[in-house]
Amino acid sequence: MRLGRLRWIAAAPLALCVGALFSGQGRTIKDSLGRTVDIPQRVERILSLQPEITRILAALGVTDRLVGLDYFIGREDHLFKVLFPGGTGLPVVSRPDESVNKEFILRLNPDLIFASPTELQVPDSIQSSLGIPVAALASLGSFEGLLREIELVGALTGSTERAGELERYFRRRLESISETAAQSAATERPTAYLAFWSSLLRTPVSYEPIEAAGGRNVAGRLLPPHLGTIGTVITIEQIIKWDPDFILVQGSFLPGERRVTVEGVLGDKRLASLKAVKEKRIRYTLGFWYWWDPAGVLVETLYLAKLFHPERFTGFDLEREGNSIYEVFYRKQGIFTELMKALDFREWTDE
Amino acid sequence: MSVRVVNLEFAYPKFSLHVGGLTFEKSKVTAIVGPNGAGKTTFLKCVGAVLPIPKGSLFIEGRDLASLRSRERARLICYVPQEHDTTFNYTVSDFVLMGRAAFVSPFALPSREDTEAAAAALDFVGLAGYADRSISELSSGERRLVLIARALAQQSDILLMDEPTTFLDPKHEAEIFQLIRKLADERAKTILVTLHSLEMAVQHSDQMVFMKRGEVVAHGKSAEVFEDSLLERVYDMKMKIIEWEGRKIVLR
Amino acid sequence: MSGLTNSRSRGLAVFLLVLPLVLFLLSLSIGTYGIPPRGLLKTVLSVVSPASQPDVPAAYRDILLRIRLPRVLLAMAVGAALSVSGASLQALFKNPLVNEYILGISSGAAFGAALSLVFLGRAFPPQIAGFVFAVAAVGAVLLISGQAESHFITLLLTGIIVTAFFSALLSLVEFFASPYVLQALFFWLMGSLSLASWKDLYISLPLIAAGLFVLYLLRWRLNVLSMSEEEARSLGVNVRREKILVIGAATLITAAATAIVGIIGWLGFIVPHLVRMMFGADNRRVVPLSAALGASLMLVADDIIRGASAFEIPIGILTSLVGIPVFLILLKKTRKVWL
Repeated sequence: MRLGRLRWIAAAPLALCVGALFSGQGRTIKDSLGRTVDIPQRVERILSLQPEITRILAALGVTDRLVGLDYFIGREDHLFKVLFPGGTGLPVVSRPDESVNKEFILRLNPDLIFASPTELQVPDSIQSSLGIPVAALASLGSFEGLLREIELVGALTGSTERAGELERYFRRRLESISETAAQSAATERPTAYLAFWSSLLRTPVSYEPIEAAGGRNVAGRLLPPHLGTIGTVITIEQIIKWDPDFILVQGSFLPGERRVTVEGVLGDKRLASLKAVKEKRIRYTLGFWYWWDPAGVLVETLYLAKLFHPERFTGFDLEREGNSIYEVFYRKQGIFTELMKALDFREWTDE
Repeated sequence: MSVRVVNLEFAYPKFSLHVGGLTFEKSKVTAIVGPNGAGKTTFLKCVGAVLPIPKGSLFIEGRDLASLRSRERARLICYVPQEHDTTFNYTVSDFVLMGRAAFVSPFALPSREDTEAAAAALDFVGLAGYADRSISELSSGERRLVLIARALAQQSDILLMDEPTTFLDPKHEAEIFQLIRKLADERAKTILVTLHSLEMAVQHSDQMVFMKRGEVVAHGKSAEVFEDSLLERVYDMKMKIIEWEGRKIVLR
Repeated sequence: MSGLTNSRSRGLAVFLLVLPLVLFLLSLSIGTYGIPPRGLLKTVLSVVSPASQPDVPAAYRDILLRIRLPRVLLAMAVGAALSVSGASLQALFKNPLVNEYILGISSGAAFGAALSLVFLGRAFPPQIAGFVFAVAAVGAVLLISGQAESHFITLLLTGIIVTAFFSALLSLVEFFASPYVLQALFFWLMGSLSLASWKDLYISLPLIAAGLFVLYLLRWRLNVLSMSEEEARSLGVNVRREKILVIGAATLITAAATAIVGIIGWLGFIVPHLVRMMFGADNRRVVPLSAALGASLMLVADDIIRGASAFEIPIGILTSLVGIPVFLILLKKTRKVWL
């Protein structure tokens, strides 16, 4: 639906503007924090402290240029080991609180560092003390942002063709999902509430996959989009007031680590009056997981579309589609099946 | 009630107290004098069990002070400090009421008997109308009286007063001494006071105890023991006692 | 205390004692899910006799009984607990600058909760570890500062040191925490009643009630204990035993409250001051009136949070914003800092 598509473009963050000046010496870009960064032409050694970028690098096929990883991808991302087995040999440069060991970085001698834009000081401090360009990038929960990120990283690593391929594939699949799912008028869109991993009351105000899948995020109007992605905390009465058709629980963390679970929500007597609880329409979804995985978010949108509009996706094998999407991105088979097993998302593969 | 000091010893890091062989009788006021650092306050605090003392040091009517429990001890003996710092602004009546702590169990409130005892004590020191004033509003003389009133509310027969008249003007000083005399005569209390002023001490007390460097140098009836050579020994300076209209004055 | 006549202050006292009850009823009607007054009344009736009100929506009942009622009760309990604890410790330490966290409870609880969130994961609710370490911190203070003759300054200093120690430990634990765990931890640290459920109340309410009861009984004794140690001893009080009793009760209620709602600052400091300004220093009044005023302030603050927006604003922020201006206004009126 046209209005839906316009919303994605309108929701693109102010964050990512690519101003590429092509000179013999490389290019200048503006990152998600609005910093102007000069990137050398040849980028052979890359240190990625941003899990989303690391995954994009893997999709672009340039993991051989990685000299180091961040803590999450290196130690906690259960999928990355499958996507990039060679990664286990790479040094982990950051700590759980996202701080880094600068001397270590110097020794690794990267040409370019990708960082996460959670704090202004970190990229600036690394860049000024080490003299290595640091680009703080993140999609911040917007599809446009993610696509521009792929384009930019592709340009910086000289893999523009591959980046273009992925971009086009992503857009095509997204559009086809939306066309099927988002045909309905606004009133026919089922409502959904997405709860973060850490608390039922914490919700990311802006979460595009829901809209793209033909649903409506009940929390969508709470705050302007560029503020809300980390999540805001609301009262439980507000959830009851909204009475969403679906309750989605961020499940990208391993089952043993989840603080909010589907069973927990079903058993919570305070929510007993909600229709989603009565009709057991509570599901896990991937959600944010140290930012996004481009293949993952696409599969998630597909899953949500099927969840919201099952009658339009009959005869649709999510497992097969999922595996095929992951294969396009990471050129490996059966990844989606593995991920679902690890996360115990049985309903994703059984339906 | 009589207090018998058999062998009282107390040690601070750089000072130690040895006192023995003293007896204080009821209805008698004893002045404890001596130079600074002689241990007068320390002695008083030990007698009042505010500082810890070993068993066998002190006996009250034959009972070992160190073996008494706090409440029993408080009903026998009361230590009145020189000053009270006013962190919290209690009313005079609430303040005096605290003197009944030894009669009220920790989890209870004071009874009517307690409030009446407190009122009577306040009346005795002449501050009956001050009940609803706050402590901070009082002059230092009045505050001393209130401290004494609290000690009276405690109804202990032995009162230990640490420098009750220091920093007071002559009029208030006189009032306090009158009160002390009244307590000894009318209520048969055993009273020990530490004083700086030798003249006041000899004039208003029945007995005197001279202390120097933690030990008792001399003690006895005030009129008898008070003489030049003793003063010189205790204070390390020449002093002369002269009499004028029945009063003793010390010249330095 | 001059300023308020006896009958006026008695009237004010009665008002303060009744206020929590009034606010309790009012608070039940406030919340994001607007329940009209008639609907609320019907819901209450339907609880008493379900048959008489067949058409009360299930949502109304769930909200009233499972969300608002426990939360409002918790607010009152926590408000009373922190205020009485602060009042008692201020009296005990003879220091008006003392608050209920002075003996290390807040940093002990924070460390316990952090430890639990980071290393023990989901298996352990942070409340238990928070409570355990809050009590441990105070225990450490008592143990370190030592014997019967310890002066209160020593206790205070030891409290400061133990607080600093646990804060350092907390920083160390945070070092190992991912941003997601930190998120959960910081929300807890800021103090929130949003986690209130009947399960939490079953354990914490009895503890708080027990501690409050003990301190209530000790209310006159606190006057005596607020004298210098020498004076208290001379007055016949077993200072060591009673000091531990007061600290024990205050610790119990503060730790129980903090373990569930996190750290809510300022209340235990401001409320006793307000009460003393209005009614004088006698703890026979200060203790119960602090409980009442503390409960009321918490209710008001929580009502503002629940009624103003859809967001769950941490209450610690609001207790300060509500309490401090009131404090300043009263300060100006009475023109004295003295208590």
